[in-house]
Amino acid sequence: MLWIALHLPALSLESFVATLGPAQAGRPVVLVEAQRIVQADAAAQARGVQPGCKRATALALAPELVLGQADARRDAQALVAVAHAALAFTPAVTASGHGVRLEVQSCLRYFGGLAALLQRLKTALQPLGHRLQLATAPTARGAALLARWRADLEIGAHSTDVGPLRTLLEQAPVWLLGPGREDIQPPGRPEATAPPGGRSLSGAAHRATWEALQGMGLHTLADLRALPRSGLARRFGPELLLELDRARGEAPEPHAWVELPPAFASRIELFTRADTSAQVIAGARILLARLVAWAQGRHGRIARFTLVMHHEPRHRRDDATDPALLHTALEIALAEPAVDPAHLHLLLAERLERTPMPAPALELSLRCDALVPGQAPNGELFPTRASECVGLTRLVERLQARLGRGQVCGIEPVAEHRPEQATRRVPADATAVGRSGTVGAAGVIESNSQVTRPVWLWPEPQPLHEQGAHPLLEGRPLQLLAGPERIETGWWDGALAARDYFIAEAGDGALVWIYRTRLPADGGGWFLQGRFG
Amino acid sequence: MNLSLPLPSPPADGCPPALATPVAASSPGRPFFIAAPETLHPALWRAHQLGAAREAVTPSGFGALDVQLPGGGWPHRVLSELLLPHPGLGEMRLLAPALAALAGGSAGPSRCVMLFDPPAAPCAWALGQLGLDARQWLVVHGRVGQGGPGFGMVRSRRRLPSRLAPGADVLWALEQALRSGHLGAVLAWLPAACQADVLRRLQLAAQAHDGPVFVFRGLEARSRPSVAPLRLALAAAGIDALAVRVLKRRGPALAEPLTLALSPVLGARQRERSRASQPQPAPVAWVATA
Repeated sequence: MLWIALHLPALSLESFVATLGPAQAGRPVVLVEAQRIVQADAAAQARGVQPGCKRATALALAPELVLGQADARRDAQALVAVAHAALAFTPAVTASGHGVRLEVQSCLRYFGGLAALLQRLKTALQPLGHRLQLATAPTARGAALLARWRADLEIGAHSTDVGPLRTLLEQAPVWLLGPGREDIQPPGRPEATAPPGGRSLSGAAHRATWEALQGMGLHTLADLRALPRSGLARRFGPELLLELDRARGEAPEPHAWVELPPAFASRIELFTRADTSAQVIAGARILLARLVAWAQGRHGRIARFTLVMHHEPRHRRDDATDPALLHTALEIALAEPAVDPAHLHLLLAERLERTPMPAPALELSLRCDALVPGQAPNGELFPTRASECVGLTRLVERLQARLGRGQVCGIEPVAEHRPEQATRRVPADATAVGRSGTVGAAGVIESNSQVTRPVWLWPEPQPLHEQGAHPLLEGRPLQLLAGPERIETGWWDGALAARDYFIAEAGDGALVWIYRTRLPADGGGWFLQGRFG
Repeated sequence: MNLSLPLPSPPADGCPPALATPVAASSPGRPFFIAAPETLHPALWRAHQLGAAREAVTPSGFGALDVQLPGGGWPHRVLSELLLPHPGLGEMRLLAPALAALAGGSAGPSRCVMLFDPPAAPCAWALGQLGLDARQWLVVHGRVGQGGPGFGMVRSRRRLPSRLAPGADVLWALEQALRSGHLGAVLAWLPAACQADVLRRLQLAAQAHDGPVFVFRGLEARSRPSVAPLRLALAAAGIDALAVRVLKRRGPALAEPLTLALSPVLGARQRERSRASQPQPAPVAWVATA
């Protein structure tokens, strides 16, 4: 058995930073609980703000501080996203507290060795934006302890053999064990045995345990093991010894495996309300990263997802709020299912730019239940028909996302005698583009085949001035060369067209297609219908 | 484009090296001399010769035009500019053989043809008569409200003034389409007042596109510099005939305009009748619009 443990030392801070907008970028961030600082990031600590000091002190030291509330649910959602990303590598994943553990012995050969697997894991987790500490060990609890302890224990003799693991654990500090230890941050120096002053109400019990152990002169796990077990169990409870045994591989360890939900739903509460689409897209970035992690964990591709923006209620009275105004749902359907985060981001950004926001958004949630199983077709070195189809579909999708669906259209001939209705503009269907097969009998055109219809048709015919009985175009008389061709049709849908069509030559030699109406309602004048391109 | 000349290494003993044919061999003591430098690399050509095409070409379907184009056809991966006084001279009939060849089965799978901001709606029936498959064509317009001046004669009444530069949408879409490299041919109608750096940018994007790129502009753009290596000015030369003047190409300037016979619109009898009523041919008017 080979376990990889991922420890996220700054999970609460990072899950809070994900809710910030671009206006708060670059400012130091701290988490506050009960008027005291519980966690501070590197920028805040450089200003002198330490965990444990009061809120007013922190604001005096750094006035531009961003204060956030610690939220266990938000942290849990972030951890679940990391677990989903890990599920793309192995089906055996457990998650608890600030860490995720995955068992990879069975898939080592597929990924080509432990080093390659660790590299791929780090690459897959990078979009989620967490700081990671990895460690490997034959037992899950041992790997978790090592990951919390130091950052340089990824590969070594302790990865595969229990003996070196036990030897290493002898030197581990004592504060790694015990319940409630998630709120204690490890010190910067690996050989230090004292945890930093991480203050938290839930960690008070752990601090009491650790202070008691230190008062007894026990600093490392070796010291703990030298003591009689019954005495330790009576003093500190059986959980301490159980954890130590599980880490050393002497006791069995049951696991609660993480399972992927069939539908994805994630919610994020923004720090400041989002008034512009740029702020919404910045907040939705982390949701898209989680969606991609879930889709990759299920080994499928996303066909459709919905972003819901929850607005603040207009009025404070509950009966005045209209449920339809409280949230706006944007559904984005992909022509070709994809799991590429950049492509999804682009489609969402283009769609958001075209959607007016009725009110500022306070919360964003992303839902997806349409997953297409199977991997994306491989990118090929030389373009083939299949890859060209996919490329053309993506291009049409991108153009339609930006310009609007009706602005990219195909031309369809209609069996109709009226020229302006004989060609229909159909919004291009991205999935069908490029798949209509090869051209039937285009072949070689003969140079003497006659072209009886103009290539360019004006949608509304332009009236022409007349001089005598001859029509004028731009002040010069038109020479009628061919005609008349009588088209009289359309009495059944109210757009009756009774026209005599002529081919005429303009002053500079170009050929135009004009007609004279025979209906008294149109005035019986000349109109320009098209030009022969 | 990778310009890698097989340069000779400097001689160790100071004597000029003897190069392989077709260069004139030089004996030690005589200065270095190359008889035909244009044969060193296909990208080199002399001013009095017609340049060879660096990329593939599509034959235009008109013999007289193919002889005058470098490479013998419309060049791929570069812009080809066609300047017209107004749309509807016969430019589509000029391009129809090349577009049919691209979309046809001879060159492999059928490929899409994209039009960007055409002056009017194309008629599917007419395209079919020209031998083109309208199902492979895609027409792209800018957003409603972001309309550019274009150069069509039809102005939609709904177009409102926009904050963006005119035609910015169409230029963005054109660049994306060229960069994707999945299209067969691209036809774009740009305003005559297009900036030179816009065309330079499109030329760079066109290098990724395996096919000809046709850019239509108004005739007043002939006095503006353009980065397109091939520029043609079109004018009507009578019924079913087109006068093509080559303004710029990789080769010597062409003095007289070419007259090409297009696919006829009029039948034979109608042409006889029109010729009888007009004894003298209509003069080709190169109206220089200020």
